Amino acid sequence: MPRTGPATLAVAWLATLLACVCACAPAGGPSTASSAPAGAANLTIYGAASLKSAIDQAKTAWETGHPGSKLTIATDSSAALETQIEQGAPADVFLSADTTNPKKLVDKGLAAAPVTSFAGNQLTVIVPSANPAGIETPADLARPGIKVIAAGDAVPITKYAGQLVANLARQSGYPADFVAAYSANIASKEDNVKAVVAKIELGEGDAGIVYVTDAKASTKVATIDVPAGANVPAAYAGVVVKASPNPAAAEAFLDWFAGPDGRAILASFGFLPPP
Amino acid sequence: MTEVEHLPVPARRGGARSPWGERSVAAVGALLALFLALPVVALVGRAVLDGSLAVSVTSRVVLDALVLSVVTTAVSLALTVAFGLPLAFVLARRSFPGKGWLEAVIDLPIVLPPSVAGLALLIVFGRRGVLAGPLDVLGIAIPFTTVAVVLAQTFVSAPFFIRSARTGIASVDRDLEDAARADGASERQLFRSITVPLASSALAAGLVMTWARSLGEFGATIMFAGNVEGRTRTLPLVVYSEFQEGNLDASIAAAAILVLAAFGVLVAVRVFRWSRVFDARGIG
Repeated sequence: MPRTGPATLAVAWLATLLACVCACAPAGGPSTASSAPAGAANLTIYGAASLKSAIDQAKTAWETGHPGSKLTIATDSSAALETQIEQGAPADVFLSADTTNPKKLVDKGLAAAPVTSFAGNQLTVIVPSANPAGIETPADLARPGIKVIAAGDAVPITKYAGQLVANLARQSGYPADFVAAYSANIASKEDNVKAVVAKIELGEGDAGIVYVTDAKASTKVATIDVPAGANVPAAYAGVVVKASPNPAAAEAFLDWFAGPDGRAILASFGFLPPP
Repeated sequence: MTEVEHLPVPARRGGARSPWGERSVAAVGALLALFLALPVVALVGRAVLDGSLAVSVTSRVVLDALVLSVVTTAVSLALTVAFGLPLAFVLARRSFPGKGWLEAVIDLPIVLPPSVAGLALLIVFGRRGVLAGPLDVLGIAIPFTTVAVVLAQTFVSAPFFIRSARTGIASVDRDLEDAARADGASERQLFRSITVPLASSALAAGLVMTWARSLGEFGATIMFAGNVEGRTRTLPLVVYSEFQEGNLDASIAAAAILVLAAFGVLVAVRVFRWSRVFDARGIG
């Protein structure tokens, strides 16, 4: 049967496709600075979940100091962000809650050395404000029936929490099977540390090990002090992603964030200088 | 379409039904109906009653996501129609070797877990994906961008449109088309003036189902497009992210918007179905 030429049709459909792709490009797309004035770059910052409030404030400060610049922020577990960057996520700067994940990117040739340390943190135990399980000391984390909320195995807080639990087990007054009993009490492994805090805030869990800064930021949790000798220093570090279309601006941001201005913002949220 | 309505109703078997039996059947059924209705009603009820819907609907996080969701679903719907309509036409009108297999592959995204869809898209379009070479040469980076959101939505939702459109086009009376052809209508005129209008209610029902599936897309999006505010964080991702961060009110507000949209879609589909039956009677 007679038909409209297939070539004509194909061209029409391809035009539609192009129009569609162009239509959605302004809504997002990679953070190229092609349309921004010189010196005013748009940057995408991938940051650890525990840094969220600090990065949000840094965004305001940076955008005020660099008119025309726009920062896009994504926060999640450092491990998840590292995977996304490996898979081609358009990040310019990666701010991690550890040094392992940024080093991974450097080792794979996806980020430029050096790895810049910018903050430190410590751990604490949080419980819902009402403390329904009656947790008095970190030793109670191993009590049978306690629902501990933890994070996934690759999330930095999990590594630090594991060290803390091991340190606690060596303290006097802690049972010999403390590590195993703590592990047996883990009811959930969340995607990132903010999700751990949220589950405790909602009362869905009895206790969780998080960063001191997360505990400070929440009004719905109480903290259980950890013996100073057992605490684990967390080291936060960042890198510039090699695929960044704006390496100079990305480096400038990382230097600024790790410098006095960034440190002041981080300190206001309870972060320590890098260990 | 209307045969079903003319099936004879089985005669009642007197004495087989006791009032008790009927009541217990109804009670068991009511339990499931309640189980299905209660969570949704409670969610929307809470969003409306405690005012979180009114407050959060104007919050930047929810507004940004709403705009992103509307734009991306509109684009994915346009893509689905542009490519899905020709495909549905071919499937409805032609037979060729391997057609059954092709149809099965096209239907696959409907039954695939969305996380699998997202991973599969990453394996094709990712930095180390199958198409990494050519995309890199062209300077196109798709994963974790708004384009990835559109592709994820199109991948999971297009089969709904193709299915519906295929059925609709197949049900168009070929005699009508032949008559128009005999009167000198071109194939293009035929398609526009006969086939599409007669299949319109099936096409419309397919469109709303496809749009609803896109709007609700979560798993493929978070795997393939990530979760960046204003770029890839659509409404379903707001529900997840805000909950993860402990902002239950914002999470519930975004969820309520999605429930209302989904309910609107189901109402729309019912209206289209009703009009299709009406059309069929009018023509018959």
